Amino acid sequence: MFFHITLERNMQLHPRHFGRNLKENLVTKLMKDVEGTCSGRHGFVVAITGIENVGKGLIRDGTGFVTFPVKYQCVVFRPFKGQILEAVVTMVNKMGFFAEAGPVQIFVSNHLIPDDMEFQSGDMPNYTTSDGSVKIQKDSEVRLKLIGTRVDATEIFCIGTIKDDFLGVINDPTTS
Amino acid sequence: MTIVSDSPVHSSSSDDFASFLDAELATSTSDSSADEEGDEEENLESKRVKRRKVEVLEILEDVQDSTARVETSKEEAICAHPGSFGGMCIICGQRVAEEAGVAIAYIHKGLRLDSPELVRLRNADMKNKLNQKKLHLILDLDHTLLNSTMLFHMTSEEDYLKSNADSLQDIQNGSLFMLEHMRMMTKLRPYVRQFLKEANEMFEMHIYTMGDKPYAREMAKLLDPGDQYFNDRIISRDDGTQKHQKGLDVVLAEESAVLILDDTENAWTKHRENLILMERYHFFASSCQQFGFRCKSLSLLKSDESDTDGALASVLRVLKRVHSMYFDEDPRDAPSNRDVREFLKSVRKEILQGCRIVFSRVFPTSFPPESHQLWKMAEQLGATCLVEVDSSVTHVVANDPNTEKSKWATNETKYLVHPQWIEATYYLWQRQVEDKYPVNQSKSQ
Repeated sequence: MFFHITLERNMQLHPRHFGRNLKENLVTKLMKDVEGTCSGRHGFVVAITGIENVGKGLIRDGTGFVTFPVKYQCVVFRPFKGQILEAVVTMVNKMGFFAEAGPVQIFVSNHLIPDDMEFQSGDMPNYTTSDGSVKIQKDSEVRLKLIGTRVDATEIFCIGTIKDDFLGVINDPTTS
Repeated sequence: MTIVSDSPVHSSSSDDFASFLDAELATSTSDSSADEEGDEEENLESKRVKRRKVEVLEILEDVQDSTARVETSKEEAICAHPGSFGGMCIICGQRVAEEAGVAIAYIHKGLRLDSPELVRLRNADMKNKLNQKKLHLILDLDHTLLNSTMLFHMTSEEDYLKSNADSLQDIQNGSLFMLEHMRMMTKLRPYVRQFLKEANEMFEMHIYTMGDKPYAREMAKLLDPGDQYFNDRIISRDDGTQKHQKGLDVVLAEESAVLILDDTENAWTKHRENLILMERYHFFASSCQQFGFRCKSLSLLKSDESDTDGALASVLRVLKRVHSMYFDEDPRDAPSNRDVREFLKSVRKEILQGCRIVFSRVFPTSFPPESHQLWKMAEQLGATCLVEVDSSVTHVVANDPNTEKSKWATNETKYLVHPQWIEATYYLWQRQVEDKYPVNQSKSQ
């Protein structure tokens, strides 16, 4: 799920950046440091939308660095247990399949794939129903439900299922 | 407001979106309810409760009816946690102990499976393979299918190779590659493309190398540019469970259906019976040096192993033989009783069947001859080894043509062969012509 929240961060700036472009430098550094990172509480920071406020800088004793508390608004992505999510399949094997939704890696074990779908190995390993009508292979889009999430420093891992109603393949890459 | 709270694995934790929202909203909506709406709300509540009860009963029935492999009940998930991904159980999503089970990291980082699940997967795979009439083949990379060398190890006489390297745009037709970004050159063994193509029809193939993951991936790209043979079955040294040892514990296949092609016996101490030992492929000078050979490498001799007559071609014949023996068994015979190791042994025993061999001054006198490598090789090949000569002996193996036994052999017109005859026969899986391995007066080395 995406959220638009305000976060605060203490940015340390080297004196070489002081001058007319202090604020720009601060913002650039903030973007470089924060965009694309993950935290346990907020999830994955997708993009910074704006700077709300830059506080007064505090000079650190002993070094010339200055610390600015910056309040900024950003869009974060945090998956939740119970959430329904669309993802793209990246790998299919006999244990299940791996899918990706942006920075989130989701694993759907074959225990949580409907029983009528069988694994077919070969050139393009896939899961197919007995009548061949539904196929899950690499680059298929699936709708799945998350049953467990874990947020790491850089990655988010999730466990998903497609065994419930209305879940499964949305888009077959071979037809579109 | 409740979102889907009737899933069998319901539990409220901070992960749960519903409780998160409830918590956030509870602080802001405490003053909005008025008395007139109280009754309606109560009705709604009771209706909602009734609905939830009905839904819950339905789920109970579903669970009891379905042949779900997951055992769950309404109250709590009695989940066996057969595996974990990123520290969470793959069935119920709960946190599990990090180190439980075997890490199958080569498929995806963070994936672990425990023993019952591995057994289940292997059984399912076995059934699948029997239907497809395929077995499993594990291939080593270095000195078995190819030979690599770092650029700074190359001698000046090998510089001509750098300009003769094949294009990386047309991998399918090349065999000598320069990999600048890895600072190495790689030469594929002759016949390897044909070998992989034919083996693919009989086997599901895996790569298992003692190199690191990036190296393994690069080599897989060279051997398999179309990504048809290996998919995600590329095991590198970081994926093994033990240092310096390769094992079948991370392979998702039944041990009785796996054949291994490797040049190093010591890497497979636990699975010697599945191993087909390959003659080492030394193309680059650094490779010969690494093993202490003072002979000239193939790159310096400007030649290469024979295409249709080399090690890979002979091994392919053996693999075809074992495969056909495995699948041509009487269909009434239970498939689970067939073991590829037994077939391998019997194929080997046919090679020198009927030969009776005596060794002359090949083993040190204090050494028990039965434990010598050559003796064991000869016995595996089906020959009978004897200590003393008698009239039934067919071969005498010696280094020196002037020993008593050697002279006896020449007099009785028995075969007098160099020990290399046994080794060549072992590696090429074919009885070698004895005349090609004469015992000459050796110059002192």
